[in-house]
Amino acid sequence: MVTAMRTMKEKTRRDLTLTVLFVIFVAILLQVANVKFDSYQKQVLSLMAIYGIMAVSLNLVNGITGVFSLGHAGFILLGAYTSALLTIPPEQKAMIFIIEPAHPFIANLHTDFFTATIVAGGISALGAFIIGFPVLRLSGDYLAIASLGFSEVLRILALNLQSITNGSLGLKGIPNHTNIWWSWGWLLVTVLFIVSLVKSSYGRALLAIRENPIAAEAMGINVFKHTLLSFVISAFFAGVSGSLYAHWLTTIDPRITTFGPVLTYYVLIMVVLGGLGSVSGSIIGAILFAFLMEWLRMFEQPFTLFGRQYPAIQGMRMLVLSVLFVVTMIVWKRGLFGRAEITWDGIRKLMKKFRRSGSR
Amino acid sequence: MRKTLLLVLLSFTVLSSFASIKIGALLPLTGGVSAFGELVKKGIDLAREEKPKVLGQDVEIIYMDTRSEKTEAANGMARLIDQQKVIAVIGEVISGNSIAAGEIAEKKKVPMVSPSSTNPIVTQGKKFVSRVCFIDPIQGTALAEFAFKTLKVTKAVVFTDIEQDYSVGLSNFFMERFQKYGGQVLQVKYKSGDQEFSSQLSQALAFGAQAIVITGYYNEIALIAQQARALGYKGFFLAGDGADAPELIKIGGQAVEGLYFTSHFHPDAPVTPVTKPFVDAFMKKYGTRPSTLSALGYDAYMIIIEAIERAKTTKPELIATAIRSIKNFQGATGTITIDQQGNAIKDVVIIQVKNQNFAFAAKISASALK
Repeated sequence: MVTAMRTMKEKTRRDLTLTVLFVIFVAILLQVANVKFDSYQKQVLSLMAIYGIMAVSLNLVNGITGVFSLGHAGFILLGAYTSALLTIPPEQKAMIFIIEPAHPFIANLHTDFFTATIVAGGISALGAFIIGFPVLRLSGDYLAIASLGFSEVLRILALNLQSITNGSLGLKGIPNHTNIWWSWGWLLVTVLFIVSLVKSSYGRALLAIRENPIAAEAMGINVFKHTLLSFVISAFFAGVSGSLYAHWLTTIDPRITTFGPVLTYYVLIMVVLGGLGSVSGSIIGAILFAFLMEWLRMFEQPFTLFGRQYPAIQGMRMLVLSVLFVVTMIVWKRGLFGRAEITWDGIRKLMKKFRRSGSR
Repeated sequence: MRKTLLLVLLSFTVLSSFASIKIGALLPLTGGVSAFGELVKKGIDLAREEKPKVLGQDVEIIYMDTRSEKTEAANGMARLIDQQKVIAVIGEVISGNSIAAGEIAEKKKVPMVSPSSTNPIVTQGKKFVSRVCFIDPIQGTALAEFAFKTLKVTKAVVFTDIEQDYSVGLSNFFMERFQKYGGQVLQVKYKSGDQEFSSQLSQALAFGAQAIVITGYYNEIALIAQQARALGYKGFFLAGDGADAPELIKIGGQAVEGLYFTSHFHPDAPVTPVTKPFVDAFMKKYGTRPSTLSALGYDAYMIIIEAIERAKTTKPELIATAIRSIKNFQGATGTITIDQQGNAIKDVVIIQVKNQNFAFAAKISASALK
């Protein structure tokens, strides 16, 4: 018994060292990319991490707690607007509010990027608390519809609160603060927080709720309180990703193509592609999504095949992407990773297997 | 196996490796407003056929799809500049997307010319972003000019769609100019999607309106016109380019007969010597009459080529300066002057619904709109 515990402890220590080494390794890779890549590639690299945060936070609610929410775009919008209003300099605000002047309180707000991001997360979390309180008493399809409605309500509010959000004109001139370090740094924070949450007693309770809410309730878990907790945490990181997204794009508006349900579906695609319930799967799904969306643009250029020249076909890349996703979902029915995670144990086992088959 | 792989890889390599001048076209070719992107593309293709060479080199147009989205507009712009090394970009169509793409163009110091983003914010504070269309305020001023000077109207009622920034801006600028001339204005409000306007209309009739100015989009314009005529209103109807859709006549029928609206272009309006040849060439190539967006796409390409010729170089920064110094350029949509803010100053065309068709009615010259 004692020896078993000691080996367990050794193993966690070993895993911790490996994780730290891995993070340093990724940081070095990012630094190399920062120096070598052109700004287009850096832009896509940042977007990968932003999508990653969106996916990991949605996965906490939809995959780990097993509550199907479709309101993620609403929280991203809330974070994006909050942080943008905090970082746009007052003189820029005076310039862009041309139909109705900005509310005096909004007009003079100004903070640095980090504070703005934290506040954005906080406001989103508050929004999640307010909406979650009544909505999380619903279950299944009802919750999905209520959360979808909520995110649309937020969008319509942004469209109509002229003196706060500049209405349909949108906000412009948001300082371009988001770079590789901010986006990947926040992704690291998100992953660390959510992984430790899942490994804590709260996380076990969330998993129990996912498997069977009634049984979990019978075991003494307060289902409502726990789902609300995961909903609020998820919204916090959605708000953070919204802030990063706004400072990446430098302009936001409440149009349906910017923060509409489509954005929620994109995030849902990333999560399901990677495997609903798997944190590492969500990250891989997000990275793949951002990468393929840009890389597949080559299908939309004019090309030559067997000496014949073909004109560019617009929309081709979405077709290819859809086919890829359909094939993926047929081959891996639960997404690339299912519910499994990439762990050091798993990698060691894989390497052992590899070595054995290699020596034979 | 390896051979086929190699073949597939080879087949993706783009032919265009020899020296040519590359101009990007960032357009919504798929997604929500793909119809707009297609129309602009037709205009650009025609312009490229007419002027395929500049500075003795071939011009190559690289189309980049934005799927009518902001994120894609930003990424597409970065890709055009960083990977395709274009020296100038035509795009985007929608104002919101143009703002996102414009930020990147500005940072990378590559000139961008939007064919049709009319929101004033697009070029605000930018050195490299310009456009060949007039901005929303100009239309409001042109309408006031036309109503007061040509139609001799002194009492007007303005219908404002408070959900559309376009409508709110247009109304403000109309009222500003109209009141300056001493006209009397009453403003009433409605929302996109409204069906019933009798309360606003009875206000308008009590006010004694000689003209009803509707600054929203065609759907509501048609409904308001119908209900006004049913209530016995006999005066004029005026509208902005939100009326510019065949649906206006389909929904409005006889009620919109005689309605005036402002627009960028009309195939029958001989605003410059270039208009007629353009319309003929377009008819020959596509079999239909050109729409406003095609004409604007045509002009955007021509302006960039003109700027490259004037700058006598392919350096993006010098081309941007040349674009900003273009004066009295003869385009298909009018005589274009690009001002220091990057906005086009040009004539506004007034179109009238006549015998259930859009007919050219008048031209408000740019000099009257200052």
